[in-house]
Amino acid sequence: MDWLDQELKLALERKEPSPDFAARVIRRAARGPSHHMQRWLAAAAAVIVMTSAGLGYRHHQGEVAKDQVMLAFKITAVKVNHIQTHVKGAVR
Amino acid sequence: MNLLRGLAVAGCCAALLCAQQFTFNLDHLAAKASDSVDISLNGPTLQFAAKFLDSKDPDQAKVKQLIAGLEGIYVKNFEFKSRGEWSQADLDSVRQQLRAPEWSRIVGIRSAGDGETAEIYVRNQGGKVTGVAILAAEPTELTVVNIVGAVDLDSLAALGGHFGIPELSEQKDSGKQKGTGKRAK
Repeated sequence: MDWLDQELKLALERKEPSPDFAARVIRRAARGPSHHMQRWLAAAAAVIVMTSAGLGYRHHQGEVAKDQVMLAFKITAVKVNHIQTHVKGAVR
Repeated sequence: MNLLRGLAVAGCCAALLCAQQFTFNLDHLAAKASDSVDISLNGPTLQFAAKFLDSKDPDQAKVKQLIAGLEGIYVKNFEFKSRGEWSQADLDSVRQQLRAPEWSRIVGIRSAGDGETAEIYVRNQGGKVTGVAILAAEPTELTVVNIVGAVDLDSLAALGGHFGIPELSEQKDSGKQKGTGKRAK
């Protein structure tokens, strides 16, 4: 066995982890994502919620405006039609 | 402080008048009315609403076409449970403003039996229609409408046949300007 085999054997030799290794891994996994990541997630969620709420409110405003326009023209149409009926009757 | 408040009120009135072509002065009737409608839509709101109108719906398509050139629509409608809740002076205060030279009354009807009157006024500026006013009064109902902008009178007259209002058969046949083209004496 030459010096290279000897070096390889030493380098690849099985080494046992420290006794608290498993406990440390479990603790880290239980903590979940880092605080930094959590802040980003919270900010992204807030932006999504605010954008959705804004779009929803704008849509609601549009529907209200549409209903008002339709009502305004309905009242106008009724009055114009009424006048037309009278004028037609008078012409006859 | 009072001066600031006065300026603010004057500013609001001026802004309102810029959009609306005459003042209604009918707010005091709201308390007496059994039903009231008060609609004030300026140009940007109309154009915003237009985006929500469905072109596949005949009524909405007609309205969408009508509001294309408009700068505002203002409607006040009051319904009363009994007669005598509104006075002729209420209507006269509106009529007075429509005596301005740019306004012309194109139709006026009066039914003595029903105590009903209705008038249509058109505002002309530089040979173009820039507004329409409709005053309709019945013993238990009062309506004032101001449509601001380039109103297409033919389209306005053709509103009959929409909103569940039966179209006048002769209007359909003649294809001429309906009724509103006749100037009242």
